[in-house]
Amino acid sequence: MIRDITLGQYYPGDSFIHRLDPRLKIIATLVYIVALFIMVDFTSYIFTISYMAAVIIISKVPLSFILRGMKPIILILACTFLINLFMIKGGDVLLDMGFLTVTEKGLRTAIFLATRLIMLLIVSSMLTFTTKPIMLTDGIESLLKPFKKIGVPAHELAMMMSIALRFIPTLLEETDKIMKAQLARGADFENGSIIKRAKGLIPILIPLFISAFRRADELAMAMEARCYKGGDNRTRLHSLKFTYRDLIATIATVIMVAALVIQRILM
Amino acid sequence: MSIRIENLTHIYNKGLSYETKALDDVSLTIEDKEFVGIIGHTGSGKSTLIQHINGILKPESGRIYINDTDITEKGVKLSDIRKRVGLVFQYPEYQLFEDTVEKDIAFGPLNMGLSPEEVDVRVHEAMELVGLDHEEFAGRSPFELSGGQKRRVAIAGVIAMKPEVLIMDEPTAGLDPKAHKDIVEMLVKLHRMTECNILLVSHNMEDVAEIVDKIIVMHRGKVFSQGSPAEIYKERDRLLDIGLEVPQAMLFMKKLEDRGIFVENNVMTMDEAVREIEKLLRKRT
Ligand SMILES: Nc1ncnc2c1ncn2[C@@H]1O[C@H](COP(=O)(O)OP(=O)(O)OP(=O)(O)O)[C@@H](O)[C@H]1O
Ligand SMILES: [Mg+2]
Repeated sequence: MIRDITLGQYYPGDSFIHRLDPRLKIIATLVYIVALFIMVDFTSYIFTISYMAAVIIISKVPLSFILRGMKPIILILACTFLINLFMIKGGDVLLDMGFLTVTEKGLRTAIFLATRLIMLLIVSSMLTFTTKPIMLTDGIESLLKPFKKIGVPAHELAMMMSIALRFIPTLLEETDKIMKAQLARGADFENGSIIKRAKGLIPILIPLFISAFRRADELAMAMEARCYKGGDNRTRLHSLKFTYRDLIATIATVIMVAALVIQRILM
Repeated sequence: MSIRIENLTHIYNKGLSYETKALDDVSLTIEDKEFVGIIGHTGSGKSTLIQHINGILKPESGRIYINDTDITEKGVKLSDIRKRVGLVFQYPEYQLFEDTVEKDIAFGPLNMGLSPEEVDVRVHEAMELVGLDHEEFAGRSPFELSGGQKRRVAIAGVIAMKPEVLIMDEPTAGLDPKAHKDIVEMLVKLHRMTECNILLVSHNMEDVAEIVDKIIVMHRGKVFSQGSPAEIYKERDRLLDIGLEVPQAMLFMKKLEDRGIFVENNVMTMDEAVREIEKLLRKRT
């Protein structure tokens, strides 16, 4: 049930994508997101979709796993789709239902936006699926380093983020366990009015918060006991290196973006 | 109630690179009123198995009959099954949430739709059974109790539902020997009083050997062997092979046998061992 949420999880593997430098993956993801918004027409999708498909195929993360992570946002997607579909007017009228009309422009925008959103989500989740939290932290910290001079606590930010990522699966697992235990005591999370269902969350949320605080406490203590001190002069076990793999990936990304830009200029 | 499990298989994270076959073609039967011990290593599938019995987990394949009703069938009301099959999870203290002990124990019975008076009676009974003084503990917050006391509150919360089958997943894990003994004694008393089925999960045979009618040994997701303690005793070499913790007395007797001294009867507990050794010594003199 709740374990289906794949947000921020890592999918163990040893593929080409898994072994890329995390800094490159972070930048490529950001570039890709920007690229999604400079797309102009359906031909631009050829570039972005094939790039995404290549990443998915090479990473060997099963499609079912990726799609499972999309489930929680189906509702949001459906809403944006419908709002765009009915609200944007322009071009030929395709469907007329009295007070609601669907126009050509509305349909196109709705499809455009929905696919963009889906691609955005898939690609950003590919980043966490293929990058160990620790590598992600190292990558972010390394990328934020230049901003240290203006007082950005790069190390602390990266550490906080990696701890948060690290605990998403743990908390989901915990939620799953608590839900099961309360189900066994006859709790009912699915039926009844909204108020009743909201009340039904109390037996889950209270134990969950208590255990989250306990965990945070224990983690802080364990880190202190091992003399953790953030900030300067920390060395790391795996230093980041740019390899031939990263070069190939960079070239591929640049080609995709260049194709998009050229196409846009030609239009 | 009788429980019959046929060819049960369960796979976690099916279809992913890290899928685990936690149960593999498990079949077993548990008779009405039986007190059963389920033992096995860590990761052998004990918790997964018992979570199927009240429909919390759905099997990949296989059937589960409770009093001849197949609960894997569509349209079976699982809430009814859960009223009759009580399940105390491993480390149940983490599920407490109310602001008083009394309210927390009442959560299950209230969900069953019982009247407030009936719930009150049941809370009193359950607290007495697990050895929590009502006057002292009823109004206290469960979060300020000790680990062992929290455990008792959680167990009372399930007992108060008066299930016909009570399943306990390692109820004594992490408790000191005294609390451990208290809980085992409480189970024996409960079984004698209510004649409900009890399924006691443990990774240690010593816990269960003395008190159960039947032992089921799980190993790597399969039923490794099942039978009365005496029957299991006969297979002790196989059990030692898979590295299961067996009762001290049993190990001792095996050492004696290795030296050519044979005892006729099954020895599982310390008391039996003492008796048999006395008999041996008497024979020698
Ligand atoms: N929620 C889950 N998701 C994925 N795998 C799981 C899950 N729960 C259990 N497993 C796996 O299934 C197998 C059986 O686990 P199970 O919890 O049933 O063992 P157990 O016999 O209860 O062990 P223990 O004595 O440690 O409680 C293990 O290999 C475990 O890693
Ligand atoms: Mg277990």
